[in-house]
Amino acid sequence: MNVDRRTLIKATGAAGIAGLAGCTGGPTEGGDSGSNDSGGSGGNDSSGSGNESTDGGSESGGSSDINVGMIYATGGLGDGSFNDQAQTGVQQASEEFGVSSNDVQPSEVTEFQTFQQQFAQGGEYDLICCIGFLQAEALAETSQDYPEQNFMIVDSVVEQSNVASYTFGENEGSFLVGQMAGLLTQQEFSAGAGQTSPDQTTVGFVGGVEGDLIGKFEAGYRAGVAEASEDIEVQVSYVGNFNDVQAGNEAATAMYNDGADIVYHAAGNAGTGVFQAAQEAGKFAIGVDQDQSLTKSGYADVILASMVKRVDTAVYTSIENVVNDSFNGGSVTTLGLEQEGVAAVYGDQIGSEIPEDVTSAVSESRQAIIDGNIEVPADPSNL
Amino acid sequence: MSNATLERTSDLSTRRLAGIAALVAAAVFVLWGLVAPASTPGRILRVMFTKSALSATLRLSVPIAFAALGGIFAEKSGVINIGLEGLLIISAFTGVYATDVTGDIWLGLLIGVVSSVLLAALFAVVCIEFRADQIIAGLAVWLIALGLAPFASQVIYGGPNTASVETFNTITIPGLAGIPFFGALFDASPMVYLMFVATVASWYTLNRTSFGRWVIASGENPKALDTAGVDVTRVRYAAVLISGLLAGIGGAALSLSLGQFVGNGQTMVNGKGFIAIVAYLFGNYNPVGALLSTFLFAGLDALQLRLQAAAIIAVPQSLVRTIPYVAVIVVLALFGKTRLPEAAGEHYESGEDR
Repeated sequence: MNVDRRTLIKATGAAGIAGLAGCTGGPTEGGDSGSNDSGGSGGNDSSGSGNESTDGGSESGGSSDINVGMIYATGGLGDGSFNDQAQTGVQQASEEFGVSSNDVQPSEVTEFQTFQQQFAQGGEYDLICCIGFLQAEALAETSQDYPEQNFMIVDSVVEQSNVASYTFGENEGSFLVGQMAGLLTQQEFSAGAGQTSPDQTTVGFVGGVEGDLIGKFEAGYRAGVAEASEDIEVQVSYVGNFNDVQAGNEAATAMYNDGADIVYHAAGNAGTGVFQAAQEAGKFAIGVDQDQSLTKSGYADVILASMVKRVDTAVYTSIENVVNDSFNGGSVTTLGLEQEGVAAVYGDQIGSEIPEDVTSAVSESRQAIIDGNIEVPADPSNL
Repeated sequence: MSNATLERTSDLSTRRLAGIAALVAAAVFVLWGLVAPASTPGRILRVMFTKSALSATLRLSVPIAFAALGGIFAEKSGVINIGLEGLLIISAFTGVYATDVTGDIWLGLLIGVVSSVLLAALFAVVCIEFRADQIIAGLAVWLIALGLAPFASQVIYGGPNTASVETFNTITIPGLAGIPFFGALFDASPMVYLMFVATVASWYTLNRTSFGRWVIASGENPKALDTAGVDVTRVRYAAVLISGLLAGIGGAALSLSLGQFVGNGQTMVNGKGFIAIVAYLFGNYNPVGALLSTFLFAGLDALQLRLQAAAIIAVPQSLVRTIPYVAVIVVLALFGKTRLPEAAGEHYESGEDR
């Protein structure tokens, strides 16, 4: 009996560790990266330990032997925004240059460094793309340990000669959707499954985690709303993470019940809850990072617009630079409205119903920001 | 009076004093709010007692309350089920997946519950048959689910997040739903109604049926139960399976109310199973008490979101978010009175030869 018990506890422990390993996930072959002939390597991915050998990828039929390692943000692929957008960039690069790629989807911040080192150690990657500002701290160390390895980081700046940093003018794009929301909440407007109540001029913002990055979204949005009218109330809530859909839903529901007509989110997966709340309340929402009226098409009837952030451009450009042998390590590229790194994209289904005066005011502001006539704050405490 | 008793009384009265002080503070707060509606307390009361805040409380309660009810059954029978979080995760994923495959949300719910019962059964076998440490096995249940659900999603959907599926339709009782504040009770998802039914049924089962008495005896004095001719092992198995059933409803209800499973980090369950453990301990293993303490937590959570949005109190939002947790700790310290079942966490070996 005693032996049985011990064996079983061991077995349970092993199962638990296997479970954890599944959670961590190993590098996986990028599905679209040309024709990978090294069959079977995909099967071992879940063991989480492996530096996957990528010999198959580089000699495959593509026109380039560039190999890219993608380390996604904790939101994971399928978030319908940030990470999917980054994937679009690497897919485009693999189509055009035939680069091959491996990716990992860490689920905890603590895993970033492990994966960065794992990718860098083998030396088989020409570029390692670190998606998301949470990787910056880990990358600052890793890039020092592997000075020969090329890295790129999105949404943050790492001052190392082997790191190309890409940041975005989120505040500029958010300004435009904020102005749109501010103009619409003062009007009587109905489209798709939503309608505004012009007697109450309130709009909302649901953020993921407080910090410099999401603060840029909030600051730009609030400045945009204020541009439309100083009298509009902007309600702001933070969920505290990017995954709790229920909390995102409740945060937005509270705003809609309090008279908000339009809620903008920068809350990753939790933002799905915002769209759902909009549908239930019969109000509107604004998506983020990707055109979410397409990626979350079930909610297209309430998504007025999305503040698109071209993470794909950043990823694509960095790969292109490596392909052309002109990797711009140590530089910081800011993709704002002018570089078309951010944009306000109207909803696929109901965007066309937004009145002319609103859209023209928004495009005037866009030009004014590009021309430097409007200064958009990046920090909500400066408003 | 001996020294020991004296210390005990003085200790009790300090706590009582603190408790009374807290109650008085709350009463002053409410009075202030009523007298001066424009003041901060008045504005807080106004966002607190809205129909929308109550419906949010009910929705936020569902997963926590079901998991807490499940935890009561297991722990009352003597098996501490710390893996409730894992049961919520596994059923949340399976519920969405099954709904996606079958196209029927109720079938999805059922299959989600079955997956949770199966995981609970594994836990039961490990703890009861093989005498594993209940805490360690419970943690294993959590870790297995935390790894398995996102992994399965990765395999099936190519990412830790699943596709979107349909959600439960709200059941609105005409007329009653129009009542201010309490109308939220009559305008809710079927899972909210089921939560009330399950609470009453759990209370009835534990306190009014012979099975309930067996469960309690199995946790308090398994030897006596054994002597009375009832198989302790079977009672414990049944209780753990019931905990899997209830937690499974909670998990599937969570994901199916939102139509998607999100598997990153702590997954969309995000610690609700652990909150549930606090809720039933705070409710002293009484299903009704557990439901009320769930309401306290969920209500404060709903309030917290409203306080953030309306910017009523001038503190940073990350501090506002801690209100539910701080309040639960304070209330637990001042008013909590939990008595663990005598034999909880202990393995029981019948003297019989088998």
